[in-house]
Amino acid sequence: MSNNWEMVIGLEVHAQLNTSSKLFSSSPNQFGSEPNENVNFIDSGMPGMLPVMNFACIEMAIKTGYALNFNINKYSVFERKNYFYPDLPQGYQISQFEFPILTEGFINIDNDGNQKKIRIERAHLEQDAGKSIHDIDPKFSFIDLNRVGTPLLEIVSYPDLSSAEEVVSYMSSLRQVLMYIDVCDGNMQEGSLRADVNLSVRKKGGELGTRCEIKNLNSFKFIRQAIEYEFKRQIDVIESGGKIEQNTMLFDTSTGETRAMRSKEFSHDYRYFPDPDLLPVNLTQDQIDKVKTSVGELPQAKLDKFIKDYKVDKDIAKIITVEKQNAILFEKMISETDVKPKFIAAWLVGDIFAFIKENNLEVSSLNEKTKEITDLLKLVSDDVISNKAGKEILPKVLNGQGKPSDIVKELGLEQVSDSGELEKIIDEALIGEEENISKFQSGSDRVLGYFVGKCLKATKGKGNPKLINKILLDRLKK
Amino acid sequence: MSEIDIKRISYLAKLKLPLEKEEFYANSLKDIIKWVDNLKKIDTSKTEPLHNVTEKTVSIRNDEINKSNSVNDVLSNAPDRAQNFFKVPKVVE
Repeated sequence: MSNNWEMVIGLEVHAQLNTSSKLFSSSPNQFGSEPNENVNFIDSGMPGMLPVMNFACIEMAIKTGYALNFNINKYSVFERKNYFYPDLPQGYQISQFEFPILTEGFINIDNDGNQKKIRIERAHLEQDAGKSIHDIDPKFSFIDLNRVGTPLLEIVSYPDLSSAEEVVSYMSSLRQVLMYIDVCDGNMQEGSLRADVNLSVRKKGGELGTRCEIKNLNSFKFIRQAIEYEFKRQIDVIESGGKIEQNTMLFDTSTGETRAMRSKEFSHDYRYFPDPDLLPVNLTQDQIDKVKTSVGELPQAKLDKFIKDYKVDKDIAKIITVEKQNAILFEKMISETDVKPKFIAAWLVGDIFAFIKENNLEVSSLNEKTKEITDLLKLVSDDVISNKAGKEILPKVLNGQGKPSDIVKELGLEQVSDSGELEKIIDEALIGEEENISKFQSGSDRVLGYFVGKCLKATKGKGNPKLINKILLDRLKK
Repeated sequence: MSEIDIKRISYLAKLKLPLEKEEFYANSLKDIIKWVDNLKKIDTSKTEPLHNVTEKTVSIRNDEINKSNSVNDVLSNAPDRAQNFFKVPKVVE
């Protein structure tokens, strides 16, 4: 395989909107219920049932419009996309086709430290289909219609992506924004966010090739694997003299390979037409403006603020802003203490996140404990206790075992920061160390560590290391 | 008028046509389309497309849950069921 091939990728991302009820019916929009529990006669496509628009879905689309720099269209039309499948009881999917609610947006993604602008062609509202289960019975498929009518926002990018890394970066940026503005829970495992990848290959800078669409990828790992496999497959076909046929591919998660869906005798024709059951959406400027205030601060703005205003290192700021919950917790702590944000940030992504992970907690569960956490961090940053002691106490504080100051007293962890006392200990420690002292004076820094260790030991680990260091240097340089 | 691909149309409509009836249906459809094509005689170059004659906006509801039908309601017309699933002939793509 020669190296002068490149891939051209566009993404169709389906985001389930986290409304209470469905797009056109009042059934619960809920994952994990018993089969066919969340279904009514509208969802099951019974004759004569009429869809009624859930306005929260329109508002979420508008919110997304603001967050992803879209034109928000006052006029949009729901159409019927006709095809037969058992998990689509109406015989058509209600979607937007010619007149989508959002057009021409973009998002900036981080690409190896550089920003790249990915243009988004459109986003439209549509219904999700149900679920078919094929592996229970050899002769029958089992149908669960719970997902039927779940509101989806389909976000269609331009083919501006050119590597698996970029696709993952785009997808995670989208996910982050949708979660920040609270329109999608971002749970890819449960299918709340999934992608169809359109991929073609070409000689570098050459003309666009024929694309294949890989359907329904619901993890970053699968997206990466599918792209890498499909890229190689298409090049192999072309280099061995073949032609790429425009095909819909399935990704087999067990083998890591893509394969064409059983080829259809005839090409599909969805015969879109405006749904006569639904009038066109005509939004007023007032309805659109109203949503703007609920958008809130977006991840990029938060990141910039953390770096510029709070002086947090870029890498740490990125970890904190990945999820909105982190940022909320961080900002709450900052507002409650005069400890430097940078100091708090380091503890947050270090020991605090480690505690959350170990105990399988939600980050938001700590929102109630910020006072205790910042009290503890204040003790550390004021050198009342050592860093090490802070780490030891943190889990106790987070487990609600008492106020930090009480725990410190109880365990006798207060540092000795009385310089008079420390000087005495240091002077004693230096007795009989003439050889090492002269080593230090002739330039061996390593000896300093040895002395610090010796003094700390003499204080039973409670001496303030910074102060010990300072006094030691003073003494040794004389 | 374009030719009628009756095989494709019956596939898209999920209708099984007996071979000997294909020509009959193709001709019937042709007649219908010919009649509808009368509309093409009207000059619409200065007319905006109209998606709905009422010129009103879609009716909306608040995002509230109302469970109006039970699983048994929903499955009561199913040709076959297995526990609370619809049971249908195997479809795999």
